[in-house]
Amino acid sequence: MINHTDTSAAPPHRDNPTGIDRPQGLVGDGDKAGQIVVAGVSKVYGRGPDRVEALGGIDLTIPQGEFVTLFGPSGCGKSTLLRILAGLEEKTAGDVTLFGQTPEVAARAKNIAWVPQSSALLPWLSIRDNVLLSRRLNRRAERDPASASRPEDVDRVLRELGLAAFAAHRPAALSGGMRQRAAIARGFVQGAPLMLMDEPFSALDELTRDTLRLRLLDVWQRYRKTVVFVTHSAAEAVLLSDRVVVMTPRPGRIEAVVEIDLPRPRGRDLADSPGFEAKVREVRDRLRRGWEGEE
Amino acid sequence: MNGRSMREEAARHRATLPRMARLLAPLVVFLLLGAGWQWVALNLKSILPPLGSVFLELAARPGFYLLHLWTTLSAALSGFAIGAAIGVILAILIVHFQVLRAAILPVALMLNVTPVVAISPALIVAFGFNAVPHIIVAAISAFLPMLINALTGLRATDRDAEDVFRSLAASRIETLWHLRLPSSLPHLFAGARLAIAAAMVGSIVSEFMGTSKGIGATIIMATTYLNLPQMWVAIFISALTSLGLIGLVDLAERAVIRWA
Ligand SMILES: Nc1ncnc2c1ncn2[C@@H]1O[C@H](COP(=O)(O)OP(=O)(O)O)[C@@H](O)[C@H]1O
Ligand SMILES: [Mg+2]
Repeated sequence: MINHTDTSAAPPHRDNPTGIDRPQGLVGDGDKAGQIVVAGVSKVYGRGPDRVEALGGIDLTIPQGEFVTLFGPSGCGKSTLLRILAGLEEKTAGDVTLFGQTPEVAARAKNIAWVPQSSALLPWLSIRDNVLLSRRLNRRAERDPASASRPEDVDRVLRELGLAAFAAHRPAALSGGMRQRAAIARGFVQGAPLMLMDEPFSALDELTRDTLRLRLLDVWQRYRKTVVFVTHSAAEAVLLSDRVVVMTPRPGRIEAVVEIDLPRPRGRDLADSPGFEAKVREVRDRLRRGWEGEE
Repeated sequence: MNGRSMREEAARHRATLPRMARLLAPLVVFLLLGAGWQWVALNLKSILPPLGSVFLELAARPGFYLLHLWTTLSAALSGFAIGAAIGVILAILIVHFQVLRAAILPVALMLNVTPVVAISPALIVAFGFNAVPHIIVAAISAFLPMLINALTGLRATDRDAEDVFRSLAASRIETLWHLRLPSSLPHLFAGARLAIAAAMVGSIVSEFMGTSKGIGATIIMATTYLNLPQMWVAIFISALTSLGLIGLVDLAERAVIRWA
C-alpha cells in the first residue's frame, strides 16, 4: 500500500511552481486533502450467472504529484478502478476521495482530466478546438468553490507536445501518434490536478509508443500533476512511474506496490541501464508470484 | 444505406473504371431501355406510349406541368420540413427520456404501417379541399425514416468521447449540442434522403383524390382520359424531381460534413 504523504519527496519541478502546491480551493479533512485515498473498494458487475467480481477490496493511497501506474494482465480491473476514480463507474462498496473530494464533486468541478484509450477527438473540430474542449464545456465549474483546475495556455501545451503546426488541422489529417498527443494535450490544457489515463498508447505501434512515453514524461515533469496511468506493459510502467501498482485478476486485487526510485528526468538512455532492467524484472516477478498466467 | 458509403462506392468505381467506360456504361443501359420501351410501345399500344409522344406532350405545355409540379413540390417540401423536424425532435426526446421510447415508438410505427391513401380522405374531411391534407400526408411519410435514422445517429456516439464529456460533467444539453448532434449528422442526412423521397411519394399519392392540382392529380386525370403521354410525363417528372431533391440533400451534406 502506498502510505506516503510527504509530497516534498517528489522530484522538484522545473518551471511550473503551480504544479505541486495546487490544492488551493480543495477542501477536505486534513490528511485526505493532499492525496487520493481508495479504501476497501470493490466492484461487482452483473448478477446471477453473469456476475463478475471485477475488484475485490482495493486499498490504495496516492500522494499528490506522483505518477502512479496500475499494471496487470487484461481483466484484472485496471480500467474499472480508474473509472471509479473518475466517477464514470459506480463502486459496489468502499470509499474514494480525491484530495478530499468525492469523484462526483471533483468531476463537477472539472478537477479530473480523463485521457481515454482512443484519442476520442471530435472529428469536426480543429486540433486546437479539441484541445480546448474542457474550456467549452461545464462553464459553471469555473465558479465552483471546489474547483482546483488552473487551465493552461493552449498554445504552449500544443508546442510542448509538438502539435503547434497542426493546431488548425482536423484530427483526420493527423497520424495515430499525433492524435494521441492531442488527447494528452487536451488533458493538460484542462489544468486539472489529477490526470487519469487508460492505456493511452496501446493502439500505437512500438516506435511511436517509445517516443510518446518520453514526450509524456517531459511534459508531466513541467506540470507535475498527479497521474494514474493504466498499462499492461511492465517496461512502460517502470519508465513512467514513481510507483507501480501490480494487480492480479479474479477478483482484481493489488498484489504489490513497487517503488521506482530511478532518477528523474528520465530519458531514452534509462531503458538501457541495469537499474531499469532490474525494476522491470521485479515488477514482472511480483505479478508472477500472484498470478501464474493463463494458457 | 448512408451517403458516405454510397460515395465511397462511387469513388471505387471512379478509381477502377476508365473515364470513357464510366460515361458510356449508363448511356448504353439507357439506350437499351429506350429501345425496349419503343418496342413495347409499337407492339402493345395500350401499355406504353412512344417516347416521342411523351416528349411532345411535355414540350406542348410545359407551363401546365410546372404549375402542377409546384403544387406537389411545395406540399412535399413543407411536409418534409415538418415531418423531419418532428422526427429529429422526438428522437432527441426519446434518447434523453427513456419513458418516451415506450410511449412514442409504437404510435410512430402504427402511423407508418397505415397506408397514406387510407388516411387521405379522412384528412380532406377534416381540413377541407386545400393544401393542408397533402402537407400532412407528406409529413407523416417523412417522419418515420427521419425518426429511425436520428435515433440510430444519436446513439452512435463514440464511447470514449462520451467518457470525456462525462468526466467534465458536461450537461445533457452540452453533450447533445457538442457531441451527439454533430456525430449523428451522417445518419441525419441519410434519414433526410429517405424522408424527402417519402415526402414526394406521400404528396403525389395524396393528390390522387380531393384535388385537381398537383402531379398526382394529373396522373388521375390522364387515367380518366386514357392519356398515356400525359401520365408518363407526370411519372418522369416525379421521378426526376425526387432524384433532384436527393441530390440537393447530398450537396447539403457535403457542405456541412467537411471533416469526413
Ligand atoms: N461493463 C461491464 N460489464 C460487465 N463486466 C465488465 C464490465 N466492464 C468490465 N467487466 C469485467 O470486469 C473485469 C475487469 O475488467 P477491466 O476493469 O476492464 O480490466 P482491465 O482494464 O484490467 O483489462 C473483467 O473480467 C471484465 O470482463
Ligand atoms: Mg482496460
